[in-house]
Amino acid sequence: QTVLNVSTWLPPTHVQNSVVWPTWGKWVEEATEGRVTVNIENSSNNPAQLFEVVEDSVADASFSFNGFVPGRFELEQIVELPGLGANAEAASLAYWRTYKKYLQAANEFDGLEVIGLFTHGPGVMHTRFPVNSLDDLKGKKIRIGGGVQAEIGKRLGVIPVAAPGNKVYELLQTGVVDGAFMPMVEQQGMRLVEVAPYVTVLPTGMYMGAFSMFISPDFMDSIGKKDAEAIRSVSGERLSLMAGAAWDKADIDAKKFSEENGGQVNLLSYGNQMSLDYLKITDGIDQSWLDAVKGKKVDAQAALDFLRIEAQMYTAKQKDTGAN
Amino acid sequence: MSFISWLNANYEERGPMKWLAFFFELIAAATLFALMILTCVDVVGRYFLNHPLIGATELTEIGLAIVIFSVMPVVTWRGSHIVVDLIDAFIKNTYLRVLALVSSVVISSSLYFISFRIWDVGSRMLRRNITTEFLHIETGLIVQYIAVLSFVTGISALLYFLLSVFTQPNSGEEK
Amino acid sequence: MTLILTSFAVLLIMIMLLRIPIAFAMGVVGFFGFAILSGLTWGDIGNFRWSIPLSMASNRIVDTAQDYGLSIIPLFILMGNLITRSGLSKQLYAASYAFLCHKKGGLAMATIAACGGFSAVSGSSLATAATMAKVAMPPMRKYGYSDALATASIASGGTLGILIPPSVMLIVYGLLTQTSIRELFAAGLIPGILGIFLYLGAVKYVVWRDPSAGPSAEAMSWAERLHALKGVRDILGLFILVMGGIYLGIFTPTEAAGIGAGGALVIALLRRSLSLSSLFKTLADSARTSATLFVIIIGALIFSDFINRAGLPGMMVDFVVSLDVAPILVIFVILMIYIILGMVLESFSMLLLTIPVFFPIVSELGYSLVWFGIVAVIVVEISLITPPVGMNVFVLSSIIKDVKTGTIFRGVLPFWTADIIRLLLVVFIVQISTWLPDMIYK
Ligand code: NA
Ligand code: NA
Repeated sequence: QTVLNVSTWLPPTHVQNSVVWPTWGKWVEEATEGRVTVNIENSSNNPAQLFEVVEDSVADASFSFNGFVPGRFELEQIVELPGLGANAEAASLAYWRTYKKYLQAANEFDGLEVIGLFTHGPGVMHTRFPVNSLDDLKGKKIRIGGGVQAEIGKRLGVIPVAAPGNKVYELLQTGVVDGAFMPMVEQQGMRLVEVAPYVTVLPTGMYMGAFSMFISPDFMDSIGKKDAEAIRSVSGERLSLMAGAAWDKADIDAKKFSEENGGQVNLLSYGNQMSLDYLKITDGIDQSWLDAVKGKKVDAQAALDFLRIEAQMYTAKQKDTGAN
Repeated sequence: MSFISWLNANYEERGPMKWLAFFFELIAAATLFALMILTCVDVVGRYFLNHPLIGATELTEIGLAIVIFSVMPVVTWRGSHIVVDLIDAFIKNTYLRVLALVSSVVISSSLYFISFRIWDVGSRMLRRNITTEFLHIETGLIVQYIAVLSFVTGISALLYFLLSVFTQPNSGEEK
Repeated sequence: MTLILTSFAVLLIMIMLLRIPIAFAMGVVGFFGFAILSGLTWGDIGNFRWSIPLSMASNRIVDTAQDYGLSIIPLFILMGNLITRSGLSKQLYAASYAFLCHKKGGLAMATIAACGGFSAVSGSSLATAATMAKVAMPPMRKYGYSDALATASIASGGTLGILIPPSVMLIVYGLLTQTSIRELFAAGLIPGILGIFLYLGAVKYVVWRDPSAGPSAEAMSWAERLHALKGVRDILGLFILVMGGIYLGIFTPTEAAGIGAGGALVIALLRRSLSLSSLFKTLADSARTSATLFVIIIGALIFSDFINRAGLPGMMVDFVVSLDVAPILVIFVILMIYIILGMVLESFSMLLLTIPVFFPIVSELGYSLVWFGIVAVIVVEISLITPPVGMNVFVLSSIIKDVKTGTIFRGVLPFWTADIIRLLLVVFIVQISTWLPDMIYK
């Protein structure tokens, strides 16, 4: 019997730790008929290092946010670009399929075996003040995280304040920043409802955040072909979908939590002036991404088209089945 | 006062080590000074001029690593690492000297071996073009700086210890 | 379990008997412990993949050296050094002495209050102890205070601010347990102030036992007192700048360190108390002190990586769950575990390793998570002054070279006892922590 050590971060109550890892762990144990057991371990490492932690076999598997390592996962930003208009479940499925079909060849996950790809729910505005038009954001101090956010912030005319994610509560509480762009889940997870009760949600989402789950190739070698294949059979698309759906559910719970605790959640419609303005302002971000990944020897335009079609098709299917 | 006499008055090290100690401390002092200015400029710019310094956070992180590791050789060869000295009152100075040798070997060898690994980690980052978020500074370079200074600390601490044992058999270590 | 106990024993031998620097002892034990858990045996020393533990350690080194949150350590140390260099601290203590010299231990009490205020603002025990060591130690010595009382009041005083908002520890606890952070902040206030008063009581006790530890003198006249007050304008201005800037939202507690150092530099320049040579020496000295502290943090993190992989958190849960006793006894067992872990673990990793496993148990027993947050942070705070690995004590011994760690730990004992009293009060009288948040938010 082999123990598969999964190093994880985020609070134990977070869906990633209360749902995603335990569910996958059960799948792995069933698929390998108990020969591999999964041990979930809270890590106090900087989450940005977890890619290396697994590559160097310090832990066997883990997950992280691609944007934590600027420069390494440029292609993976594909799913973060504004305008996808899908929830995390649809985005995650489309992202996984796009990765397998187009992105994998560029080998950005060098040294790792990817077992799942997913996104958090659409990014929303958490602010200390009500946002009635995009002009209200001009000149406001907004905490900017990594990835595509910097470009969006620039186009919105905000004063960007860069700070690690775990400082966001403090920044908002003291008033050093007036707002932050993060998914809805942080109203509850980081208790942003206490310090930034105004939430503005665009129908297309502001942007997405891409995460990856990965396992050490050395670990896969060490357990033999049969068990490695068994683990793969319960990972990939199946794991990505499950993770995306779990993160969506966390967003829904967080919205309810926020509203129960004095949060003002403003869901905008497609026709709303702010939604239209946002589309105008973010127009052309695709092109900057396409330019940035030119050297990667991947047909980025085709990948982007494929991703969006996949996401739309799955979204339509979700609507048909009444899931959303 | 001339620079040389200032150096002699302020550094207990001997010979070229004086210069080396001054050199390392100069890098650390200048960087720490810059860190202080950086924060002030960033805050003043953000609050009063609505224009923060882009990349202040990542420059702070880099500066911090430079401050800490630049003085590491000096701190280590002077034996300034913190010890729990509960036994000092009960044992003879000779034993303390032996124990200091043990410590020196432990410190030097751990830094020596780890420095190669840190160097490799840095090279890997450089190969993958990992940069900072806003200023696009190669992160691997900072990691390799840490590696080089760890290596220098390991080697110099052991040499310095041996030197002080063999050249000053009856002084140096005593308080 | 055997491995964990063995490693604790080896660690204690290395730091107490072999006198190996604490940072390297923890790092080496953590390194080899982790190697054993990764498959190292006597037979395969040659074939073992040493890159596994080496990577674990090098990750900690590289990341800690570039940790944005830790940038407050060198900058607050620099601020303390500049304050001392420009004679500000001498004047502050001269003024305190003018008002308090007729009281035994008066300056130690003033130090406690100053540490409480400073750590409340900076949110960091380490930074407080490091800043105040330079500010408070030389004057207290000058007025005849014993090394044990002087150092202990700084080391202990530095722990006071953890509970008073803003508090990094309470934010981390809130994020880990999804507890309201503003309720935690409100809950920490009264226990935090209670801590200050209990520490003042500890000083009283020390000078009652040994009046020479904090000697008193003839009371000074009001004319003398007012004259002494003149000198404190600048330093009060500096503290108001730092505190006010944080509470008004102009800068974060992390940035306050850089602002404070910059302000101290300006004052030192205005007073013409700084030459190029002394500025350089102040900067270099601050860098060296910071380096010794960073190495300890790194060593402690490497050690905690090993403890974590060895499965200690899971074992603790199994042990606590297996107990078939009254809920309050379960809490006491948890507190005992904290006190014991506090001997060898650094405070931050202790919080990260233990809270995720303990809070579901506490919650299931029906206790308030806000209350447990305050209790947990108090025990974590106690670990900062619990020998042999007491970070605040190390800060003191790293800055004040001629005082032995043994002396400081001896001096800390009354303060440690005061902390235990406070812990018991907060555990038994739940309202001490829950009254204020309930009143504001419910
Ligand atoms: Na505080
Ligand atoms: Na301790």
